[in-house]
Order: sequence, then C-alpha cells, then structure tokens
Amino acid sequence: MLLKKAKAGALLDAIAAKERLFVPADDRGTSRFVAYGAGVEPRFDLLNTKLPPKDLLFPATETLYRWSRDGADLAIDSAFAETDPFTVFGLRPCDMASVDRLDAVFLTKGYVDEFYQAKREAATFVVATCAHPGRACFCDSIAASPHEAPTADVLLEDAGEEWVVTPQTEKGASAVEAWKPYLEEGDAEPIKAACDLKVDMAAVPEKLKGMFDDPIWSDIGDQCLTCGTCTFVCPTCYCFNIDQDVREDEGKRFRCWDSCMFTDYTAMAGGHNPRASKESRVRQRFMHKLTYFNDRYDMNLCVGCGRCMRDCPAAVDISLIIDRIAASEPAQEKEAMAHA
Amino acid sequence: MADVQDTIRERAAALLSSGEVSAVIGWGAGRFDDVRFPLVVKRAEDAGKLVFDASCVQMTAKRLLEHTGEGKVALVARGCESRAVNRFIADHQLTRDQVYVIGVPCPGMVDPATGETLKRCAECQVRNPVVHDELVGDPVPEPKPYRFAEVDRVEAMSREERRAFFDEMYGKCIRCYACRNACPCCTCRECFVEQDKVGWQGKAFNVNEARYYGMIRAFHTGDRCIECGECERACPMGLPLMVIMHQQVRDIDKLFGPYEGGGLTDSGPDPLRTYKTDDIEEFM
Repeated sequence: MLLKKAKAGALLDAIAAKERLFVPADDRGTSRFVAYGAGVEPRFDLLNTKLPPKDLLFPATETLYRWSRDGADLAIDSAFAETDPFTVFGLRPCDMASVDRLDAVFLTKGYVDEFYQAKREAATFVVATCAHPGRACFCDSIAASPHEAPTADVLLEDAGEEWVVTPQTEKGASAVEAWKPYLEEGDAEPIKAACDLKVDMAAVPEKLKGMFDDPIWSDIGDQCLTCGTCTFVCPTCYCFNIDQDVREDEGKRFRCWDSCMFTDYTAMAGGHNPRASKESRVRQRFMHKLTYFNDRYDMNLCVGCGRCMRDCPAAVDISLIIDRIAASEPAQEKEAMAHA
Repeated sequence: MADVQDTIRERAAALLSSGEVSAVIGWGAGRFDDVRFPLVVKRAEDAGKLVFDASCVQMTAKRLLEHTGEGKVALVARGCESRAVNRFIADHQLTRDQVYVIGVPCPGMVDPATGETLKRCAECQVRNPVVHDELVGDPVPEPKPYRFAEVDRVEAMSREERRAFFDEMYGKCIRCYACRNACPCCTCRECFVEQDKVGWQGKAFNVNEARYYGMIRAFHTGDRCIECGECERACPMGLPLMVIMHQQVRDIDKLFGPYEGGGLTDSGPDPLRTYKTDDIEEFM
C-alpha cells in the first residue's frame, strides 16, 4: 500500500477526528511532537525534532498523587489515570529505538511503571524512514537503521513522493485498515539510506569498564558546561527526580526530569556530594550511556540520533568520545605496560 | 585568520614549555569544519590542536575559573573574553596575576546554522580586547552597531503583547541552565536554584518556574552583564535572552549613567550596588 505524501493531510485529519494525534512540527522557533489540529503544519522533512518524543510517554513533569487534609481527615489520591488511545505519526527510526529503551527501563526487570505503561499501551507509533540522514546521524552503527524500525506499529518507507505503508503489529494492522480510503494500491521502491557517520561500538562497553580513572573524563569535563541540554534533548535519558508541592492543607507529589549533569542530582543529606566535580558527572553520563545500560539491558542506550551533538552549547560530540574510547588501549594492557 | 592561529599555537607552546602558564584556554576542532569547542591545552605538544577561525562561537572565559589554582592560566581572549576577565577580577573571582591574556582582535564569528554573522557578534560593542598581556593580530575597527533594536520592539508592545512575548519565551525554556553555566557573571558557588532546603526554585517544568528562574538570574546579573551574548548563544531553545540584558543596560544608562555595560574595567562600577546620595529616587 502507498500513501502519497501530498495526501497525508487528509489521512491526518481522519486520524485526528478519532483520537489524539502527534506529529513533528515547528513550535515557537523549535520543534517537537505537537498535537495535530488547526494551524499545525506537520514537518515530515525534519530529520529530528529538537525535543524528542519521550515526553509523550514520560512527561517532563507528572503528578503521582495528591493529598489533602480537612481537620483530622487526611485524603491521599493517586493521580494515575487511564490514557485514551493516541497516534504518533512520523517519528524516526532512532526515536522508535529510543521507545524500545524506555520500555526496557519502565516495563521490565520486575517493576512495571503503571504511569508509563498506560501511555505506552495507548500509543500507536507510525515511523517514517529517513531518505537522507543528517551529518550527525549515526543510528545504523549503534542502535537502529535509517530504513527500518522493527518495533514500530506501522512503517512508512520513504520512496520519494510517497511512503510504502507496512503494518508491523496487530495495532498497526487495524490502524492501516482504517486508513484504507487514503491509501493507494501499487509498488514503489523505498530509499534504503545509510548514515555517513559511523561509530565502532563493538569493544566500547567492555573497554569502559577499565576506564574509570582515564584522562578522557577530565578532558570532556574541561569542554562541557554541565548544563542539562544533552540529557533533556536525549530521547533515552530517563532519570527523574521526585519532588513535592506542599500547601497548607493540600499538596502533590510529582516526578520530573532530572539530569546527571546537575550538581544537586547527587546531593546527599548532610551536604556530601559524591559527584561534586564536572569530570565525575561527565563520566557518569557516558558510562551510563555506553556501558552500564548494556550490562543491565544488553543494548546500547545511545540510539545515534545526534541531538546532543547538535545542541550542545560546548559542542561535546558523543561520536568523537566513542571513537576515542574505541581507540584506547584496554586497561589491563596499560597496567601490564606500566609494570614492564 | 590563519596567521593568527599559527601565532596562537606558537605562543601557547612557548608559554606552556617555559612553565609560565599551566594551561591555555582556546578552541579545538570538532568533527565538522564549522564546529569548534572550548579546549583547555595543558601540554606544549598539544598546542597544535588550538584553532582560531570564524567558527569559534563559544565565549570560553568561564573555564578560567575551573583552572585557576593550578598556576597561571592563559586565555585566548577576544573583546568578549577580555571583558569577562575584568568581570572576574571585579567580582573577586581571580586576580590579574592569575591569568595571562593572549588578546585577539575579533572580526566577528559566523553562525553555522545561518552562515551569517553570529547574533552576539553582530551586536558586539568591543571587538578588541580591553585587557591583554600580548596582542596577536592587528586591531580591528569598532563599528559599535546599534544593539537595542529588539529592546525597542518589546518596549513598543502593549502590556498584553509583552506578556505574550515573555510567556512564549519562557514557555520554551527547558531549564537546562546552559545560560547560567556559560555566563561570566554567574559565579555563585551555589546557585539559588540549587538551594533545595530553602526551595526558591521549584523542580517542576512549567512556564512559571522558568520565568521565575529567568527573572531572578536577570536581576542577579543585571548591572554586571558584559553583553557577550553567550547566554543567548548557548541556549538550545533559542530564547532571546539578551533582550532582557540589553534592556537593563539601557535602563541603567538612563537612570545612573553614563553606563555602557560591565567588564570594561576591572573595578566596576556596578551601578545597582553603588550608592550615591544624588541617585535618582523617583520610585520612593
């Protein structure tokens, strides 16, 4: 089945008439996944939105419960709510790979986060492949492919003027069934693009285990501002803080995105901070991205979308960091040389 | 600028190998030709990694504060970095003898996103270093372009329009604190936003928390801002932060002037913390 790009608007209108629909779009000079409606122009030509789609499943601020007090009566109410079905149309293969990572974090290893799960189960992900990956894109050597997205509900393969539409899950099949009036029979040749930028991750997770005291961290620390930009534009950074808003007789507890780049992220009662230095915070971020996550979930946490490289005010480049780690000598050899 | 780059490398190597400085702060080359990053060189043999061209968009001076105490540190300083050095001295963050300034007159940098002059350079009032131990390259003309166009635009707005302007601005803020971390005036050891026990700054992400952060930071830095524009350049969300800083510079000039911004000398004046009996008191 084919979907002519020029006719996508009619399909989007039809989807939006049934349920909430999110599309990549400009937003006040930046871009993100925006609720489709009057005045929203989808930007399927954007490679990556400035902000990733993670807030659709894991909002930047999310209330967990509320409490109120009336004399001696105390009421505590969960803020959990079922989520109505919604569609995310036009995310990229790297972003779909990021959803796989968030799934692993919030739904596996013995704990299911019900707030995440409700949104995840309500979501239908329609992934558009990339005909022209950007210069900072390196998904196909770390986590994904510009022309595939195995876990997407529906895959839209870019074939120039049209997309080749393939449902990949039951949810996707029923979505595509409903889209039929807007699709056409026929064949087109999908563009199978590859990224120019490649990284060699093969030895990186293991090598990093011996690099806790490597000079690389102070070098990156010298460069880095330790602002939170990379963690907030990253589609897979999932760390959060739990805080509260307390008024006299009512309050709420919420979770909100946090960043390992911030000093107060590891601030402890009594004033000690185990990651007081920039270098230790930078090390934590890349260790988590490139080795700790692999140990626990057996996959790379970085999906190669390039957002952090593009938006870092100090031009910290994770692909160069991977290169440097890949080229470094394993710690035991260094140690052997030191003893020689 | 190739000659300037060569001289910077030579001087960096000489300063490091003689032991006069323990580090040289400049720029290094990223993966792509238009990407440069703040680089701290600590060994003479790495001096060749320093670059200087129109892609050196970052104002690097804040790094000085992380390396003083390790011996004298050299800073490759354009007008903006040199004003930051003065700022640090006036704010007692370092003393003049802790820094060796390799001054570089600056022709203005290029925004890789647009190919045009970087906004902070297009508004720059001081291209030549105001303080230096040596100068690399010839002084450049100071065109002193008009920098209040955006202030004029916002001032001309109705109250409602202005409210909408700031709502849009802070509605986009992700509170990454890049502006604060890049700012040469933000040198508090502990920022108010991190004083959790006091709880000035809520952790939730919304326009109110963002606006509160932005306004407090603006007032904390208002009479010290060196107008380098690095906050605005560093902002990943493109907030027009300099409209607030320029507004304050102009207001201070009108109320307490003449005032042309901070960092022009190493002893202030910081008008909002300087009391004079003939200060204007129209609000009292």
